[in-house]
Amino acid sequence: MKKWYNVLAILVTAAIVLGTFGMACEQKPAPAEPTGPITINIGLPMALSGTASPWGKIPTPFREAWIEIFNREGFQVNGKTYKLNLVQVDDENTAEGGAAAAKQLIYGDNCKFFAGHWTWNFSAIAAVTNPAKVIFVTRTGSPDALPASWGGAYDPKKMPYVVFGTPSQDEFTNWCYSIVDAYPNYKKLGILDSTVGKGGPGWVKVQADLDKAGIKWQSEWFTPGTTDFAPIITRFKEEGCDIVFVAGWIGEYMAFLKQRWEMGYKDMKVACSGPFVSIDMYKMVVGADALEGAIGAYEDNSKFKITKVNPKYIDMCQEALKIAAQKTGKPYEYTGEIKWVPAHTQILVQAMQKAGTVDDPDAIMNAIRGGTFDTVVGKWTMSGAETYGSAVNFGDTGALCIIKDGKEVYLSEHPMEPIP
Amino acid sequence: MPPAGIWVDGLVQSCIYVTMAFGMVLVFSILGILNWAHGQFYMLGGFVVYYAVTAAGIPFPLSLLVSGLVVGGLGMVVERVVIERLTAPGYGLLSVTAATNALIFFFEGFAGLAFGLMNKGMATELPGLLDLGPVSISYQKVAVIIFTLVIMIAMYVVLNRTKVGKAIRATSQEPNAASLYGVNVRWVQVIVMGIGCALAAMAGGLIGLVQSINPFMGRIPMIMSLLAVVIGGLGSLTGAIVGGIMLGLLNSVIAYQISYYSEVALFMLVILILLIRPQGLFGAAPK
Repeated sequence: MKKWYNVLAILVTAAIVLGTFGMACEQKPAPAEPTGPITINIGLPMALSGTASPWGKIPTPFREAWIEIFNREGFQVNGKTYKLNLVQVDDENTAEGGAAAAKQLIYGDNCKFFAGHWTWNFSAIAAVTNPAKVIFVTRTGSPDALPASWGGAYDPKKMPYVVFGTPSQDEFTNWCYSIVDAYPNYKKLGILDSTVGKGGPGWVKVQADLDKAGIKWQSEWFTPGTTDFAPIITRFKEEGCDIVFVAGWIGEYMAFLKQRWEMGYKDMKVACSGPFVSIDMYKMVVGADALEGAIGAYEDNSKFKITKVNPKYIDMCQEALKIAAQKTGKPYEYTGEIKWVPAHTQILVQAMQKAGTVDDPDAIMNAIRGGTFDTVVGKWTMSGAETYGSAVNFGDTGALCIIKDGKEVYLSEHPMEPIP
Repeated sequence: MPPAGIWVDGLVQSCIYVTMAFGMVLVFSILGILNWAHGQFYMLGGFVVYYAVTAAGIPFPLSLLVSGLVVGGLGMVVERVVIERLTAPGYGLLSVTAATNALIFFFEGFAGLAFGLMNKGMATELPGLLDLGPVSISYQKVAVIIFTLVIMIAMYVVLNRTKVGKAIRATSQEPNAASLYGVNVRWVQVIVMGIGCALAAMAGGLIGLVQSINPFMGRIPMIMSLLAVVIGGLGSLTGAIVGGIMLGLLNSVIAYQISYYSEVALFMLVILILLIRPQGLFGAAPK
């Protein structure tokens, strides 16, 4: 009986080996040239878990809707039609998570480009994308707040395939200009930031730029984890600050808003450097009354008064907002994503068209450097020698809104001068 | 002299530290351990009150009670499942310290998954401001102060006028003698863990009126209440109250005077107090 098993096993093994060999030798016809649009995978390492995940998750329906609308026409390069496929992977907003997400997107999902990225792990991601010559359009955080654990600050020379956005400190100063534009009769602008960035090169530049612009300002600092801002609010009040700009920290911003109202300083306007991710959340945490007078970044391009945006792009964004509302089954008002995936993909696509290739990263980067791009947040020229510095990615318009009667209302705009 | 608003702010901070510190001292007195996850029971209490108010429509005062019952119950389960086993003879204090530290991350992770990471709040409860001329105070802050007073009075009654309270006090003074007089010391330990966690939970619920609720909200209050306990004297309930009030007021006043250097000054002051009086203000000196 055992003998028969052995014979049978030998026969089956032989059949498998011969069959495999035969299949390998078989002449396959050359793959047919695709007749429809060719899909290009765009990778997006995104905070889908962790404390920053609301900013990763809430815009997802909008991102998907934008790509859906963009793909109706697709884009042409050398007579071929292409469309985009956005692949999101959780980067946990950590350096390790970012590197792992980048590897997954490049080697698992075959992404040749990254766009729409805004978390602080861009240097860790760039360390993966750069050797693979994957073009990565991202933000530029403040060097003050980017210790080695985050992968360090940007380095344009070491990262030739990374397109960096406006440095955070320049964005910040630009918003200050925008606030002063809106309130030329202000008494003094209070600036509140975490001690994390105190004394760093970014802060030194902000001070110099504010002084140069003749802005009257007063700074205060909080240590991370602070929840009680009454002492700081009192100090600002005593210094005569009627507007306070809280830099980049949403939890602290909400606490400041609420506590200044509780202390009876409802006329003190309080700005933050990000868009309002959810007005409902602010109302729940801060209260509707305390929320009045809150100022935030504003990316609703349909409301811009100074920055010129192609009407077609405005329509596309408005439609994407409607689709996002249908998908989520409730009103969708978060416009903060407009300057990310839509603007970034437009830079990439237009650069591919200028370079006449979708495959040659060097040619595409050459087209990006010094190129002018027409995006959902206006038309901007990228800087040349350095790959960062264009105002195209985010914060370029300096647009702000203010909460009035519980709704975002356009406040002011201060388009940034392109950085040479 | 700091303006009145700073003192009011300090008083509100004090209320939270007092409530938390009181629970922490109770647990320490009876179980002989520091529950390092006390801040996470505070956080869970915040979420229970938030959902009780916003999802179930339960009035805020009742929601506070619900949070005390739910989180207090959870604390009792933790005592039976984790602490009891690790405080059994043969295990060192390090085991229970490690376990309660592990609970910090367990509860934070759980809260993140269950409730999400977005900040939540109950700012729509008790809206409005009380204008007192030179100082304005929100009704929410007034509520924090009043509810803290109610909780402390209730604790006084429980500890001094009830059978359970007497058993707790007896056990804290001399567990063996209490046991000989018929007190079930094991049950007292479980009940006290429940009360301690319930107090933390109610403090978390109260803070939801004035600050945001999120899975990581318990860390700083835990450290501050621990400091309050140490300043007041480990094991002293009066000390926890005085320490909590001192810390809340000092925190606000020093921050007003010297801004972000306040933490350095505050913690230096704590060290100074302990150097002068190592047993804390109301703690008994070692025999």
